[in-house]
Amino acid sequence: MPHETLLRMDGIVKHFGGVQALRGIDFALDSGEVHALLGENGAGKSTLMNVLSGVVTEYGGMITLAGAPVSFAGPADAQRAGVATIHQELDLVGALTVAENLFLGREPRTRLRLVDRSRLRRSAGELLAEVGIGIDPDRVVNSLRVGEQQLVAIAKALSLQARVLVMDEPTSALADAEVERLFEVVGDVRQRGVGVVYISHRLEEIATIADRATVLRDGLRVGTVQVADTPAAQIIRMMVGQPIEKLFPGSHAATATPLLEVSGLTVLPRRPEPGRSEPSDVTLSVAAGEVVGLAGLMGAGRTELLETLFGVGVPGGRTGTMVLDGAPYAPSSARAAIAAGVGYVPEDRRGAGLVMSGSVGSNVTLAALQQVSRLGVVSVAKERAAVQRSVEDLHIKTADAGVAVGTLSGGNQQKVVFARHLLHRPKLLLLDEPTRGVDVGAKAEIYRLLAELATQGLGVLVASSELPELLGLCDRIVVLRDGRVAATFPAAETTQEVLLEAANRAPAAGPVAATVTEVA
Amino acid sequence: MSSERVRAADAAATPGSAPQAAEAPDQQPAEATATAPASRRFRIPDAVFRFQSYVGLVIVFVAAIVLSPERGGETVFLRPENLANVVRAVSEIGIIAVGMTFVILIGGIDLSVGAILGLSAVGSAALLMRDDLPVAPTVGVVLCLGLVFGAVQGFTSARLRLQSFIVTLAGLQIARGLARIWSGGQAIPLAYGDEPNLAPPVFGLLNSRILGGTLPIPALIFVAVGATAIFVLRRTTFARHVYAIGGNERAARLSGVAVTRVKVTVFAISGFLAAMAGIIHAGQLNAGSPNDGSGYELDAIAAVVVGGTSLMGGVGKVGGTLAGALLLGILNNILALNNINANIQLLIKGVIIVAAAAVQTFRSGTE
Repeated sequence: MPHETLLRMDGIVKHFGGVQALRGIDFALDSGEVHALLGENGAGKSTLMNVLSGVVTEYGGMITLAGAPVSFAGPADAQRAGVATIHQELDLVGALTVAENLFLGREPRTRLRLVDRSRLRRSAGELLAEVGIGIDPDRVVNSLRVGEQQLVAIAKALSLQARVLVMDEPTSALADAEVERLFEVVGDVRQRGVGVVYISHRLEEIATIADRATVLRDGLRVGTVQVADTPAAQIIRMMVGQPIEKLFPGSHAATATPLLEVSGLTVLPRRPEPGRSEPSDVTLSVAAGEVVGLAGLMGAGRTELLETLFGVGVPGGRTGTMVLDGAPYAPSSARAAIAAGVGYVPEDRRGAGLVMSGSVGSNVTLAALQQVSRLGVVSVAKERAAVQRSVEDLHIKTADAGVAVGTLSGGNQQKVVFARHLLHRPKLLLLDEPTRGVDVGAKAEIYRLLAELATQGLGVLVASSELPELLGLCDRIVVLRDGRVAATFPAAETTQEVLLEAANRAPAAGPVAATVTEVA
Repeated sequence: MSSERVRAADAAATPGSAPQAAEAPDQQPAEATATAPASRRFRIPDAVFRFQSYVGLVIVFVAAIVLSPERGGETVFLRPENLANVVRAVSEIGIIAVGMTFVILIGGIDLSVGAILGLSAVGSAALLMRDDLPVAPTVGVVLCLGLVFGAVQGFTSARLRLQSFIVTLAGLQIARGLARIWSGGQAIPLAYGDEPNLAPPVFGLLNSRILGGTLPIPALIFVAVGATAIFVLRRTTFARHVYAIGGNERAARLSGVAVTRVKVTVFAISGFLAAMAGIIHAGQLNAGSPNDGSGYELDAIAAVVVGGTSLMGGVGKVGGTLAGALLLGILNNILALNNINANIQLLIKGVIIVAAAAVQTFRSGTE
């Protein structure tokens, strides 16, 4: 197969307000190549792909597709030019059949301009067979597994004459067997001369499927390597880059007083949801004054564990024991968890954290209204004082507590969620990706705040995809995989490489597991 | 140029090192200058938007004065009896609309209120006339009935995760059916007297006026309900939960808000106020008919929407609803004073509802 350059992106620059998301990135994709795009959260991968797929239309630099300069007016424009993106949220209509989705908006017609259903089904069957996907074209998309939906989306992209296929974390919600099937299809796609940009955090997958890998960090391209010639450790080093230890406030003394003790925690969902890894035989503890990190790949079950600990996991049974501050702890709702002294900062700030239509003040006091009210009537003076204190303590930059919380920057919005869950004076704080979408300055402030809280005796359990963050912030780090505890390390005695290895290791790898357990 | 502003703000928000107390004063002015242009540019329209329904009310009020017929050198519209009559005429819809505001604030809708009004009017008449119940127990029973009816709808909607549109559409049918069964399909006329099978004359007070015959009792009740609701929505923790659920139910739940309990309470309030309107309705018409209140739910929703409350939930005020109800009431009044066909009134009302909603959308687009 002749490999020629299919796509070139030269000196791509993009800033959002004052944040420089991309600082002159060069990227090239050959036809018939699978090119992995790697980097930590916020490195610029998504922005670069948004530029490529026409979602971001204002940028600096040049894109050349098959030798001709292009500039896309929007996603539809990019698709017409042959750039297809398979999003994490798939662009399929769930209530329609596979065949109807494949030909949506370009259905074969009869002479009377009605949809020619038999031809639609036949063409869909041919298309699926051609790509090597054995799915019945008459099945309703909602009844397919996520992996199958992804294959349908790929088939659709190919039928639209895609020359460049962008896949964003395609395996995050897939089971192992589905991943294999996906890889077969991707291999086939490559045979047809299509170029594939493959975004994933899973290094083992990259090694299996990618030809080259480009690593981004802080909006810059660190380098492009041939995957076959490059050890995983080197790629990890490229992703991680220079130390960010200076952001961290330094160590604090964890006490030996156990605060949260979880043993053998297993969640048996009433209706298992695909893509979720419920806690399975999880045993861990958080001492008062201790910061414990939760590491793991996407889909390893970090969020699920935190949700369970906060009483908002999936409905179903639960085995194992939880003890909080010496008392049995089995929260059935967020309300119960808060009453027991637990706070929770969720990952999805807009979807689960803030009431965007509300003011800064009403967001801060939402979980602790009984403190600022009497007989159900809010005391304006007490509330103002409490909010003022929170704003000052957490350095929330807002003109006034009455402004809509949506007008604040990401970092300050996140501090509002923190303020809410500090105001009810918890003993234990559960944090899910607390610095996602937050600028460096606010990050440093959040780290400082957490260290301060730990010094005051609060226990913190923090899940993060950013390993340097966990290493700098935590006393101990628990690595999750498939809902289970894969390993536990004292933060001071471990490295990103070790953590990544523990998070990536295939469950069956016996000997390696043994050595790591020794380390732990 | 807007990115310049954001950049300045970000520069202020992103000091190179972890901010220290000493830096804080420096950041304040930078932040202030950074945000000033935005607020200056939108200040005038935003005030108009924020008080949209009041602005609309003033406009309609002035228009009504201008368009009012004169009789004996006097502007008919401005006569105290007429103004009091406007408030009396909107009192039933207005009271329902107050309850509807709570429901819409949590992102729901209550289609059953007109039917609950009818059921309550029938219930009041039946209890007073057929069962010879005194006024206080009658009112108590009917209010409780509305409260429970609403609460059951709220519970059904929250627990079974059914859209309130569906649940209250079913509730509408059920309440209407109950009203027909209870009344035997006929209107129950009220006659006052102390003998058996006559209603106690004190119930007729709903038809009377105080303050020298100018202020009708229903208008007084409407104003009291409105004032109470304004206080509740401004000052109580319950209201905070209502706004939070409407703005982001998941966030509210994760903040420990008892979402089901709040939803049940909100629908109970709506049912209770619909029942109150039903009692007033029976009193004003001296009868309770099973078809009373047909379509009132839509007039109440119209008042809420004209009042600037978002059907998406989380945003709105009772004050706006009161203004919206009055605005529509004045409109009806002035058209009636000019002997304009009631069908034309419907057309104008339709235009006003769309205009109010469009202004809202425009506002949210600028933010």
